[in-house]
Amino acid sequence: MGELTVVGKSVERKDGRVKVTGRARYAGDLVAPGMLHGKLLRSPLAHAKILNIDTSKAEALPGVMAVITGKDFPGIPYGVRPDTRDQLPMPITKVHHFGEGVAAVAAVDEDTAEEALELIKVDYEELPVVLTAEDALKPDAPPVNEFKESNLAYSSHFNFGNVEKGFKEADYIREETFSSQRVTVGFIEPHACLAEVDPTGRILLQGSKQSPYITWRHMCRALGIPLSKMRIVNPFVGGAFSGKHDPFDVDFAAVRLAQKTGRPVKIVLNYDEVLAAYRQRNAMDARLRLGVKKNGAITALEAECVLEGGPICGIGPFNIYYFGAFLNIPYKIPAIEYHGKLVYSNRSPCGTVRGQEIVLAQFALDSLLHMIGEEIGVDPVEMRMVNAVTDNWTTANGIVVDVSGLPRCIEKSAEVIKWRASRKSRPKGRGIGFSCASHPSGPRLGGHFGSSVVLKLVEDGKVIVTHGGTEIGQGCNTVFCQMVAEVLGLPIEDVEQGVSDSDTTIFSPGMFGDRCTFWDGNATILAAKDLKRQLAEIAAKELQVDPEELEFKNRRIFVKEAPEKGIDFLLAVRKAYYEQGKPLYGRGYWAATDIDIVDWKTGKGNLAHGLDFIATAIELEVDEETGTVTLLKSAHADDAGQPINPLMLDGQVLGGSTHMIGHALMEESHYDEKGQAMNYTWRDYKQPTSMDVPLEAVVEHIHTHDPYGPFGAKGAGEASSCSTLAAIANGIYDAVGVRIKDLPITPEKILKALKQKEGK
Amino acid sequence: MFIRRLPKFEYHAPTSLTEAVDLLVKYGDNAKVFAGGTDLLVSMKKRETVPEHLINLKGIEGLKDIHYDETEGIKIGGLVTLGELERSKIIKEKIGILWDAVIVMAAPQIRNLGTIGGNLCSAIPSADTAPPLMASDASVRVVGKNVKRTVLVKDFFKGPRESVLNTDEILTEVIIPNPPENSGGAYLKLMRRKAMDLALVGVAASLTLDGDEKVCKDARIALGAVAPTPIRALKAEEVLLNKEINEDLAAEAGRVASQEARPISDIRASEEYRREMIGVLTKRAIMEAFKRVK
Amino acid sequence: MKEVEIELKVNGVNYKVKIKPWRTLIEVLRDTLGLIGTKKSCNEGECGACTVIMDGRSVTSCLVLALDAQGKDILTIEGLADGEKLNPIQEAFLKHGAIQCGFCTPGMVMSTKALLDENPNPTLEEIRRGISGNLCRCTGYQHIIDAIQAAARSGGKE
Repeated sequence: MGELTVVGKSVERKDGRVKVTGRARYAGDLVAPGMLHGKLLRSPLAHAKILNIDTSKAEALPGVMAVITGKDFPGIPYGVRPDTRDQLPMPITKVHHFGEGVAAVAAVDEDTAEEALELIKVDYEELPVVLTAEDALKPDAPPVNEFKESNLAYSSHFNFGNVEKGFKEADYIREETFSSQRVTVGFIEPHACLAEVDPTGRILLQGSKQSPYITWRHMCRALGIPLSKMRIVNPFVGGAFSGKHDPFDVDFAAVRLAQKTGRPVKIVLNYDEVLAAYRQRNAMDARLRLGVKKNGAITALEAECVLEGGPICGIGPFNIYYFGAFLNIPYKIPAIEYHGKLVYSNRSPCGTVRGQEIVLAQFALDSLLHMIGEEIGVDPVEMRMVNAVTDNWTTANGIVVDVSGLPRCIEKSAEVIKWRASRKSRPKGRGIGFSCASHPSGPRLGGHFGSSVVLKLVEDGKVIVTHGGTEIGQGCNTVFCQMVAEVLGLPIEDVEQGVSDSDTTIFSPGMFGDRCTFWDGNATILAAKDLKRQLAEIAAKELQVDPEELEFKNRRIFVKEAPEKGIDFLLAVRKAYYEQGKPLYGRGYWAATDIDIVDWKTGKGNLAHGLDFIATAIELEVDEETGTVTLLKSAHADDAGQPINPLMLDGQVLGGSTHMIGHALMEESHYDEKGQAMNYTWRDYKQPTSMDVPLEAVVEHIHTHDPYGPFGAKGAGEASSCSTLAAIANGIYDAVGVRIKDLPITPEKILKALKQKEGK
Repeated sequence: MFIRRLPKFEYHAPTSLTEAVDLLVKYGDNAKVFAGGTDLLVSMKKRETVPEHLINLKGIEGLKDIHYDETEGIKIGGLVTLGELERSKIIKEKIGILWDAVIVMAAPQIRNLGTIGGNLCSAIPSADTAPPLMASDASVRVVGKNVKRTVLVKDFFKGPRESVLNTDEILTEVIIPNPPENSGGAYLKLMRRKAMDLALVGVAASLTLDGDEKVCKDARIALGAVAPTPIRALKAEEVLLNKEINEDLAAEAGRVASQEARPISDIRASEEYRREMIGVLTKRAIMEAFKRVK
Repeated sequence: MKEVEIELKVNGVNYKVKIKPWRTLIEVLRDTLGLIGTKKSCNEGECGACTVIMDGRSVTSCLVLALDAQGKDILTIEGLADGEKLNPIQEAFLKHGAIQCGFCTPGMVMSTKALLDENPNPTLEEIRRGISGNLCRCTGYQHIIDAIQAAARSGGKE
């Protein structure tokens, strides 16, 4: 391919200008003629039978056009898997968590809609509440989900390699427990949706959705309508981080109200509703037992994990598999036994959050690795170097690592954080913590899984890219334009992002698991090559050479060996359109074929390509009198293969890490003993501000070349989310000698631990 | 349960204090005054308070100045915003203990709206301007129908969200006597993160030393967020009197202060932690105040 | 209840609108004037997404009554660029990767403008404090801080 001219450069975001001028439209900004405003009535109880809902007074209020409840839907449950269909659009027989939407109103204005909510009378019969996995699994625990008898929603059991032998061979074995709290996803744009029945009679949905495909499949099933009867057009999305994959009551209510009234209905939530009742990260309890040799090399791992997931399975079955599967990476673990349980409860429904379960698994594993290293006298950096996955490694459960820059990542992060110097001397209360992590580039989850891209070459020589991914801020729109520009030898200005409309776009299965750059990127390259082939044929005929001899660069198509012999790119385009009367489209479809659909119950299989590797070092200070932690510096060395847009890649790394600073130190969604959410306001749910991030943050790119990735790139959005928790926990230990294994690590916990330490 | 759009109200924009007071007399408990609105409007959106009449005080002249006089001290109009206090050289140089508080309150946008009068009248236990003003022997001017009175800030609070203001009264001015010679003051605030948060614990300490700047002649320690109202820690102050300030003494004062307080446990922090932090912050505030004695 | 007629000056344009007295500035900007650039999220002053500049000072427009904004000079994100020519702050945000999903961006840019208008040469600490009232979940703030430093250095020149 030669030297890259557009790929690998930090070109300006394609959607940057519209966003920075306030012109970008998000779901809440959309309007339609005759639009009504919708609002949801929410349950004040965490677990209760719905005996009756009297909507008559609300319906009679002038200005109210329709009121609906769960009974206005066919009652067809949906879910991620055929064996986990446990969700309804809105509850019919009972409510499962605080703030669950039980009724929805569409009115001519928002004030009327709010007023109407007050007129709806709901009769509940309270049911006992289960909040923790432990309580939910007790024999007399009330069943949480009406579609399942047991509160054990899913389980996963692996056994790979010879764990018993591994432990026998170990020179040292250690067992520890870890736990992690409920946290909200924390995107800034609240859920919003505009639904209407379009002029053709189909439902048109424009919502803040991360995965329109998933939304579409679930919604059509639950509404009892054919797939062809729903069209989705994506506005800009104000952050998602896996909190906006599935359809919510917001989307269902807007659609049903639009159907009932025949008018467009817009529902925009206030953020406190999001904090109270929408997607959170599973609470986790885990026990890990790790065996190592004298030099720190791991010989075996045995682990148990319980994830508490709220009243739905959602993506939970994948989460519980994922936790175990990614205990296997980024370190070489010859044998692993794992038992995971996903449990229902009456807290807010869980999906997953940036980094998914790897975030939690890595917190446990990298904390444990540090603890063991200290006991056997192996330095944290060395501990990781000894175990780091290298090229062409296959994990015990069959995940294939093609290329790993991890050893270089570890060296680099240690260098940037000045690790060696810090061992000689450092101020009191200051410490450095390490963690590594790996994240795949798009797992295969069954069903539709490939990516499709269509390129339209406009008569003026510009290309419009229509891809099936969803721009949620991660920058995929820009990255694909870069790839097209690179293949076709055009400047980035000549390639534009088209609309995201299911009428013209084949949506990819969803925007999760770092799949975008990798899967849609590969499809983009194929589409660009398709266009290139068509243009090469035209140019070849014109120049009377073989298409193979041609190169595309700087808006020209010319003979590689004789560059002066060529034609303008635009001329080839016009020849197609005007001489041949042939419009130019490029089509590309890509799906990884040598990966497996893994059985989440047993865990065997090659989940994905493009394992991204990261090593994170965080330097921090602990105030031993108050327990407050101040982050001083973070150093991330990331192997994302060939960075497509280095500046945007840095943004992903820094953003993911900052997100987890919140998880590590200050975020928690609290519930009281009756399951009522307690801090569903940003006044009391504290996410990191600009004052909470490290004073200095460095991202270094460790270049490798992934054999399957577009231009050798790997997905990079979530690795740093996975490596930050343990880096902070280990840093606190290094600073003041206390080990906190239950997140969040609050000042109170640090102080308590310091006192216990002194007491010894 | 959830935040809503504002409820209906009748809006009034008096241009004089008399007019404002008359409105309060007329509407009594059905009216609420507001300046910045950062506290009131949120309460209204949560339907915690639903006044039928809203009286905007910002049109009243003469309540927006900061004035320094060598004898009379610092006078701050009730409608002076926290942002204006933050930007004021007078406040930073003459009454640094108050400046310490305003720069850690809420967020820049809120500081541009919220006023010192509003912060005091909200009477929330964690109001950050209260401890520094209490520690500076500040007082407030209150105007009602046929009433003009001066109340010491330390006597201004009755309970959580309850001040001594009668229904027809408006806080018009904050008066801070000039700190005596050889004085220094500091305010420290403990939060759950490094910005945009309420105080878990707030401590203001003001010291006056003798001519040699060694022995403490006078001490004021005020605590916020750790009792039903902001309070003075009188016993802790006594610990410091007529003694030379050093870290051990400051720590002792801190210990005493933590016993004087009545913190609670809530989702923000536990009672034990708050109590312990009163000790730590008091010690630090005293030492910082000591450092600042010129 | 009765609507009132108010005059608002936004981005140099005088508007005359009829609204209910209990409308907040953000609601009028977005729903009545169609200026959707300013975003609404928490509606209680805790996120900064709704930040606009009023008489030179940044404020959370969800906590300002529209009535109360009369007679003031209001600047929203739509008022920064001069046609296609972006404000140096906007250019710096683009150049330094300070924008990802873009939802916090209008508020963040307005807080930046208020900061730099008052303090053209802020220290790193002053920058971090200056935007401490604006939540962002995507970027981790670092690129935003870089952009603000660059905008300050360029001193308003391109």
